[in-house]
Amino acid sequence: MKSKSRKNKGRRQFIKEILAGSVGLLSFRYKKASAITSPVTTNRLRPPGAVSERIFPSKCIRCGRCVEVCPYNCIVPLDIKEGIYAGTPLIYVEDIPCYLCMKCVEVCPTGTLQPIKQNETRMGLAVIDKHACKTWNEELALCRTCYNVCPFKETAIKLDQLRPVVIEEYCTGCGLCTHGCPVVTKDGKKAINIEPIYSQGPVKW
Amino acid sequence: MGLSRREFLKRTAALTAASYVGINLPFKNENTSQASDADSWHKGTCRLCGAGCRLELGVKNGKAVALRGISDSRTNYGYLCMKGMLFYKLMGYNNPDRLKKPLYRKSKKEPFKEISWDEALNIAAKEFAKAVKNHGNNSVAYYGSGQALTEETYLFQKIFRGGLRTNNVEGNPRLCMASAVGGYLTSFGADEPIGSYTNFERASCFFIIGSNMAEAHPVLFRRVMRRKLDNRETVKVINADPRVSPTSRIADLHLQFKPGTDLALLNAMAHVIVKEKLYDETFLKNYATFRMGKKKEVSFEKYKEFLKDYTPEKAADICGGNITPEKIRTAALWFAKSEGTVSIWTMGINQRKRGVWANNLIHNLHILTGQLCRPGADSFSLTGQPNACGGVREGGGLCHILPGHRLVKKDKLRHQVEKLWGIPQGRIPPKPGYHTIAMFEAVNLGKIKAIWINCTSPAQSLPNCDKYRKGMSREDVFMVVTDIFPTKTTELANLVLPTAFHFEKTGVYGCTERRSQLTVKAVDAPGEAKPDVWIVREWALKLSKELNDPVIKKCVEPFLGKEPDYELPKAIWDEYTQKLTKGRDNDLRGATYEVLKKLPDGVQWPAPTKEWALKGGTDIKFVRGLDPLADKHAKDQKPYQFYGPAHPDKKLWIWLRPQRGPEEMPDSDYPFYLSTGRVIDHWHTSSMTGRIPELMRANPYAYVEINPKDAKKLGIKPGDMVEVASRRGKNILPAKVYVGPCEGMVFVYWHDQKESRMINRVTKDAFDPGSKEPEFKICACKIRKVSGPKPLKPFLVEMKT
Repeated sequence: MKSKSRKNKGRRQFIKEILAGSVGLLSFRYKKASAITSPVTTNRLRPPGAVSERIFPSKCIRCGRCVEVCPYNCIVPLDIKEGIYAGTPLIYVEDIPCYLCMKCVEVCPTGTLQPIKQNETRMGLAVIDKHACKTWNEELALCRTCYNVCPFKETAIKLDQLRPVVIEEYCTGCGLCTHGCPVVTKDGKKAINIEPIYSQGPVKW
Repeated sequence: MGLSRREFLKRTAALTAASYVGINLPFKNENTSQASDADSWHKGTCRLCGAGCRLELGVKNGKAVALRGISDSRTNYGYLCMKGMLFYKLMGYNNPDRLKKPLYRKSKKEPFKEISWDEALNIAAKEFAKAVKNHGNNSVAYYGSGQALTEETYLFQKIFRGGLRTNNVEGNPRLCMASAVGGYLTSFGADEPIGSYTNFERASCFFIIGSNMAEAHPVLFRRVMRRKLDNRETVKVINADPRVSPTSRIADLHLQFKPGTDLALLNAMAHVIVKEKLYDETFLKNYATFRMGKKKEVSFEKYKEFLKDYTPEKAADICGGNITPEKIRTAALWFAKSEGTVSIWTMGINQRKRGVWANNLIHNLHILTGQLCRPGADSFSLTGQPNACGGVREGGGLCHILPGHRLVKKDKLRHQVEKLWGIPQGRIPPKPGYHTIAMFEAVNLGKIKAIWINCTSPAQSLPNCDKYRKGMSREDVFMVVTDIFPTKTTELANLVLPTAFHFEKTGVYGCTERRSQLTVKAVDAPGEAKPDVWIVREWALKLSKELNDPVIKKCVEPFLGKEPDYELPKAIWDEYTQKLTKGRDNDLRGATYEVLKKLPDGVQWPAPTKEWALKGGTDIKFVRGLDPLADKHAKDQKPYQFYGPAHPDKKLWIWLRPQRGPEEMPDSDYPFYLSTGRVIDHWHTSSMTGRIPELMRANPYAYVEINPKDAKKLGIKPGDMVEVASRRGKNILPAKVYVGPCEGMVFVYWHDQKESRMINRVTKDAFDPGSKEPEFKICACKIRKVSGPKPLKPFLVEMKT
């Protein structure tokens, strides 16, 4: 997707991606792309304060202002292939996570992103894959990157005998931990992933 | 701000391409190697911090593929941190940035050109010879590293001292533990800790001051934490630090004082111990005296008198922060009454205007309470570099010391070394050379014409580095840099020589607890990179011809014709241990390569015989029955024998050291304290860890930590770009608003190579008058918001040819 130095490589890169993609087709990463299923899945999140996914595509007017204002370039507008979700904002947390600057919420003209406090944001919940995590799985590794990078260290994530534990009540789902995690599993996920468990919540207009 | 139109379109296009086939492609799996992939495993020591973790390198088809801990090792018991698990990615051809050919340029304004080794060494020899001929022997200098192997430091200093007749031999350990050396020598009479890590499992009180060991020494911190968690009620942890760090997490008591007031805090703890009669009277009578100066002994009464200025009430006033008289009393009681107290400190104590004094005051507490030499009781300074102790402190890598803990200015010891090297008496000058700051000051003034910088990056790591970079970029200063990657320092060099990395050459590292450990070559170096010992030997031969001085050749004569990967370092190690450490307190004669290879970890000196070395050496120094030298030097029947070379009375000295603040105090122009430190994912100037994508991703750039109360006053929000400025320079960094530093203090990480985020352009180059170690940890600064959040990119120096 976002590949480095694509200067003068447009065509070549394009073909490469297609080729790589066709190989990848055999093993879908998360789900099949479809025009009517929501793009919000593991590590694919809506910006802070987003309304329920059930009404998101109908409320969002695809103005792109959140994409524009994001100082970290973490919000990406979805492509036309996403069908009814085309143009809506999505965050790919392992690429660029959300730093919770809350600027996108302020500029949203429709209230699709609703005003919310930084610590009350619930974009998802960080879930540790204990089979993939070096510290949980391999007894002799001391890694606590997820703990170190968490903006709510000691509140949203704690260390239990040097092993990270997410406190569900306080996790904002910003994805800094997923971004920082040094482990990449075979299916391209990390050892700590953000599950958008709140995305199908009750509808609030 | 945000996305440009062009970028937006590009992304949409890329996204379309990916979505046509319905998947995302951001990951590459080729870098995730599995431990089981390796053909063979090779034992060695970790390349990074000073903990000395033992590990094994997995090699497949001649390529380094994995690292894992060794469970039999008494340093780490198989545990490794992520830095230790991943540095194989820098070996051989695993990293494209490695320097592979010698590079040269006549003027520092020109781009580098690749040249052959023969040309490179000729140029180096000619330039050094020219400087010596035209400007005298003291116009050349060596600036080494606590990361160079012992053999390398030893050979470099031998050539410079014996061959080039100058004591301008320094190293970056001056920046990190010179004050600890000063503290150990003045308090105990012998350098390096008395005990070992084994005390962590036997201690019932930990006093951690000026150390964020959870991030800087994670594997050792695990041992402390394990001890605490297994004995929650009985083991107490006191953490004294102006900043709440991840280390504070396990503390029962956190003493948060204003930066620079810890000398008062330590004296106040001594006050409580003396007043409550918690001192060990027999220990004091048998083993201790009180001192105001080297020659000025005073009485216990005088010491009590001195402590009257440091009642807990007065000290709490000086210390500020969260310190109350009650907290000081509790800390002193826990410290004195526990069955075994271990003090642990690093740069917060050492990198100070009065670093030696602060060290002395910690030792005072241990001597007063007799918390020494017993299991679980020790005054333990951690080192930051893997071979600062072994190579530089013991191997003679500083301007005032010769190998085997010998002082340059002592005629007898100097002549001993000359005799052992077989060079004419008087070859080594009697005057110590320039210490680090003086050396780079001399470079600034043009007094040094040729300097060899090995395995370190002073252009980034010196305090107030802009000032010294001016000197290093002078056209009339010829600079040779030996390194594996381009750094801020290679940018200023005339000649860059590519060296072999860890596991691409053979040699010994000596870690914090006096332990020497061998790493044998396991993979080939990329391109034409060579082991440093080979480079020095060949250069010395050419230099001998240029200067027409056979003594230089004499210095490398025992090593001629040896193959550089194993035989050459072994011959150097044998000369150093068998000849130079014989009869010294760091006797390593038993620790031959054969013995070191047999043991899963290594040997702790004193280890005068092979039999003793095979048992692992000496766990606790100075105790009869545990330390062979204590038996040898015993003058009486007492169980402890403090035979250290620096104290003629063979006793421990309690020092009367008053409170002194930092050189630069905050004022109305520069109202904040600035302190710097490490983060777990990076190490030093990040020339290595920055090239490991997993670590770089977790911490792509430095930021400034600001207390929420200060941030509120200044209107700074998380992620805002903040200017941190001092009288010397400024940085612009993203802010992290965080209850870490105390109010009125900001904290910045020093690993970032980007000029606008290189905090050593801001820090102060004041130094301790005793140890000459600079005061990195405290200076005055001001901060202001420059802009809102900005997307930042990680930055590493690239080599332009």
